[in-house]
Amino acid sequence: MKENRIASVVFCLFALTYFALAFTTIAQPSVLQILGPDAFPKAIGVLMLILSGVYVLQSFRGLGREDETRAAIIGAEDKVGTHIEWKTIALMLGVMLVYVFLFEPLGYPIATFLMFVTGAAILDRRHWKRDTLIAAVASFGFYFTFSLVLRVQLPAGPLRWLGL
Amino acid sequence: MWFFDNLALGFSVALTPINLFYALLGVFLGTVIGVLPGIGPMTGIALLIPITFGLPPTSAIILMAGIYYGAMYGGSTTSILVNTPGESSSVVTCFDGYQMAKQGRAGPALAAAAIGSFIAGTFATLVLMLIGPAVAAFALNFGPPEYFTLMLAGLTVVTSLAGRSLVKALLATTIGLAIATIGIDLQSGVPRYTFGNPELLDGLEFLVVAIGLFALSEVLVNLADLRQAIQERLAIKGGLWLTREDWRRATPAFIRGTLSGFFVGGIAGAGAAVASFFSYGIEKKMAKHKAELGTGAIEGVAAPEAANNAAAGGALIHLLCLGIPGSGTTAIMLGALLMLGLQPGPLLFQQQPQFVWGLIASMYIGNAMLLVLNLPLVGMWVKILDIPLYLLVLFIILFSFLGVYTMNNSTQDLFLLLVFGILGYLLRRLDIPAAPIILGMVLGDLMEQAMRQSLLISDGSYAIFVTRPFSLFFLLLAIVSITNPYWKYIGVGLRRWFGRGAPA
Repeated sequence: MKENRIASVVFCLFALTYFALAFTTIAQPSVLQILGPDAFPKAIGVLMLILSGVYVLQSFRGLGREDETRAAIIGAEDKVGTHIEWKTIALMLGVMLVYVFLFEPLGYPIATFLMFVTGAAILDRRHWKRDTLIAAVASFGFYFTFSLVLRVQLPAGPLRWLGL
Repeated sequence: MWFFDNLALGFSVALTPINLFYALLGVFLGTVIGVLPGIGPMTGIALLIPITFGLPPTSAIILMAGIYYGAMYGGSTTSILVNTPGESSSVVTCFDGYQMAKQGRAGPALAAAAIGSFIAGTFATLVLMLIGPAVAAFALNFGPPEYFTLMLAGLTVVTSLAGRSLVKALLATTIGLAIATIGIDLQSGVPRYTFGNPELLDGLEFLVVAIGLFALSEVLVNLADLRQAIQERLAIKGGLWLTREDWRRATPAFIRGTLSGFFVGGIAGAGAAVASFFSYGIEKKMAKHKAELGTGAIEGVAAPEAANNAAAGGALIHLLCLGIPGSGTTAIMLGALLMLGLQPGPLLFQQQPQFVWGLIASMYIGNAMLLVLNLPLVGMWVKILDIPLYLLVLFIILFSFLGVYTMNNSTQDLFLLLVFGILGYLLRRLDIPAAPIILGMVLGDLMEQAMRQSLLISDGSYAIFVTRPFSLFFLLLAIVSITNPYWKYIGVGLRRWFGRGAPA
């Protein structure tokens, strides 16, 4: 329940910021309007403040009893386990961040190949030969499908020099 | 006969080789998405929107609709053979489907699911064809006040049925509305919440938010706990076809499931999951062999599978005739159509008949394709579950980044994608549903516009929303839908209050 408490306070602060910015950062248009550009943000801000306030109250006084039958009927998503392999998540987020940085300099096929191979090495090393092959086929395959068949240009990177 | 002309037009569009290909691709991908647990129709469509970029809108919607109803078919296969629902709308199918498979009747269970889906899908398409133009013509009378309150009702109905906590779901809706306010205000030209960043002037890209919240967050959820349960699969023994006795029992269930799914899940906007539960409840009351339900009765597979397909078809009526999404999945489809420069709504039937009728015709074709794809090839679909989870995760990363990048060729979008992926994961952990965020984001601008136009008509008076009958009706609908979880408490409170005064 600690998570909910922190989150509810964060939401409250977010709502306050959003509401305050509606007053300070939105300029008034030169022509007077019935509903100015700041009206909708202010209304949403008020709603968000009220709801996050209720959320704070609920999370500090204990959330209401949850009706799992109702949750199943409306098809609510399963709760995510609180067990976390932090190391895996951190490593993979790192891989994705590096992927973003290398996306244009290295070009799509090479950057994607590296992302896939590194990712596979972090998650499961038992089938590295098969996974490397899949990575190669997928990254170069998508690149050529997109650039040649769908005519969507992806960054070529060093491959540009090969005329690909 | 006007609709034969229209239908002929539709088939002339849908039967072109390229559109046939997209219908087949759509139902194929939809079935894959349906079979894979964890990837639902919302995630699937969001991930695959980039394929539609280069396509004409008609081909794009044929593809997306194919994915949508294809996923409803695919979800049942794993429910029956593995006892793992591929979608939330196939949870109910596990109850009797898995029991049937255990008794060696997996074949008839799969057949009943596929036939039920086919009947319901075709029925929903038929109704869409027959009443769609009338609904659209009626909706042409709606002015901005009706549209504003209709969108409000759509927002609250979907929100009230999302997640375990109403407060959290409503909070998610307001976040979506807040995201919609980012960028230049179209009416006054004033920038809002852009913090001087020129890339934000157009607002946040819908696709970045959708893929981040649905697809990338799914990656993180799976990474957090990669231990993969080895699932025991039941083999398909015997024939796939239904016996005469099966038909006798399943046929009324098909009909009940189709009707209840269409009206509850589709027209009333309750969604496919609610529709399948609702139809199971009906079977428990009305089926001839109701005592057998839960122990492997064919009615328990036939009715809910018909219901979830009928609901998916019904939800398309809202999208096409009114331009209002009635579910998270149709909200994503609306967002995608807006990206393609097409505004769904009542005018669509008049201005773009080839689009509407092409889609309708393709749905008949797609449903027939699914029947052929699903029954003989069922063994192949089950094999999909052999793909190791970590490879699936890597492919979702690959598709997410590819899709977001091709939109604007911008690496800033990729950063935002990561941010929304992390945000989506945190929201999942907090049990805050993401669908209302998407819905709020898609409807935010449209609602603001409708509200301003309304107030312009009424010269600033808010009374316009309650003095027009349909507007008042939608407003009441909105109020009812968000207050209904509390009714029982109010009822109990009132009874206690009056009970105290009255003599015992």
